[in-house]
Amino acid sequence: MKTEELIQMLARQAGPAPQALAARRVGAALGGGGLLALAASLGAIGPVAGSLFAEPAMWFKLAYGLALAAAAAIWVARLGRPVAPTHAPQRATAAVALAVLALGAASLLAVPAGARLDALFGHSWLQCPLAVLALSLPTLATGLWALRGLAPTQPRRAGFAAGVLAGAVGAFAYAFACDELAPSFVAVWYTAGIALAGALGAWLGPRWLRW
Amino acid sequence: MSLDDAPDDFESGLKPLWARAQAGDERAYAEALQRIAVRLRGYLRRRMQSLPDDVEDLVQETLLALHLQRGTHDAQLPVSRWVLAIARHKLVDLWRRRGRQDVLHDPWDELEERDVPIAADAGAAQRDLLKLLEQLPDAQRTAIVLTKIDGLSVAEAAKRTGASESAIKVQVHRGLKRLAEQVRNTP
Repeated sequence: MKTEELIQMLARQAGPAPQALAARRVGAALGGGGLLALAASLGAIGPVAGSLFAEPAMWFKLAYGLALAAAAAIWVARLGRPVAPTHAPQRATAAVALAVLALGAASLLAVPAGARLDALFGHSWLQCPLAVLALSLPTLATGLWALRGLAPTQPRRAGFAAGVLAGAVGAFAYAFACDELAPSFVAVWYTAGIALAGALGAWLGPRWLRW
Repeated sequence: MSLDDAPDDFESGLKPLWARAQAGDERAYAEALQRIAVRLRGYLRRRMQSLPDDVEDLVQETLLALHLQRGTHDAQLPVSRWVLAIARHKLVDLWRRRGRQDVLHDPWDELEERDVPIAADAGAAQRDLLKLLEQLPDAQRTAIVLTKIDGLSVAEAAKRTGASESAIKVQVHRGLKRLAEQVRNTP
């Protein structure tokens, strides 16, 4: 087929270009992955007692997941579109994680020295990052699916961003099933789970996002 | 339009055509793709001096990718930058594929001169997309042939095949996507 014939073929009956494709696909990925993660968290691990929601720490966890997911979702959508600017959402994503780490460090310093190990490790430090990682898997799958329908020209970075988004959703979902209340615990172990999801995404990106 | 047009001329000529094409104007789309093909040929030829025979194949592969990804162009950003970013991505992908294949194949240096392939004419690719099209699953191939080669409307194609209009659109898109994958996997 000559190039001219290909051009005629592509243009014929082409119709209008899809509108807001990146936002629609990433939005669908977030909705689908989020619902699955919440169902798994509440169904398989079990919700915490409702009275815990009177504690500000519960809201700190949920806000961390939400804020990080919002920034990372924009980052992923931009990475799915060639030449779209990615600096601002990348910085916003990093800023959310750094702010939580700083708050965690500050809260640890405010705790009496004898109680610091407890505030850092709680009773579920090993379970937490693994649960966040496990709950991130649905969104990692849907996020990579969303990117496969877009045009990521930096597959590793796009995979990492999708992993961070998935980790944020996993952290948000796990917050409903986790009774740890120390901000330092959240800062370290939730972030560790999100980082694991990001690493998995960065590994998968170059493998799954070729086009 | 010449290959040596400054990028800004390319952008200013392309932008209004592209806006109409994105809104669904077929003729503007064909003309935009023609201008893009000329620019791509120049861009790739300069960067593929060791693979002159593959230039037109990569022009076609890039055009197919541009079509499939046209929903990722943001009207705020220059079309030319978006086009060349995709071309560059396709070029890097080709180098990577060739890098692996070169391990398996004899390097060109060892070929007798008479066995070295002759550079193809502009517009003529080595890989024939029509042949790859024939290998698509029936439903996808039929949808593409009816709407994009025979030029039937989606409604007519739906009537002819008994499939719904949205099914035809989906088969066309999936078929072109699969075609692009086959192009990548065909040396």
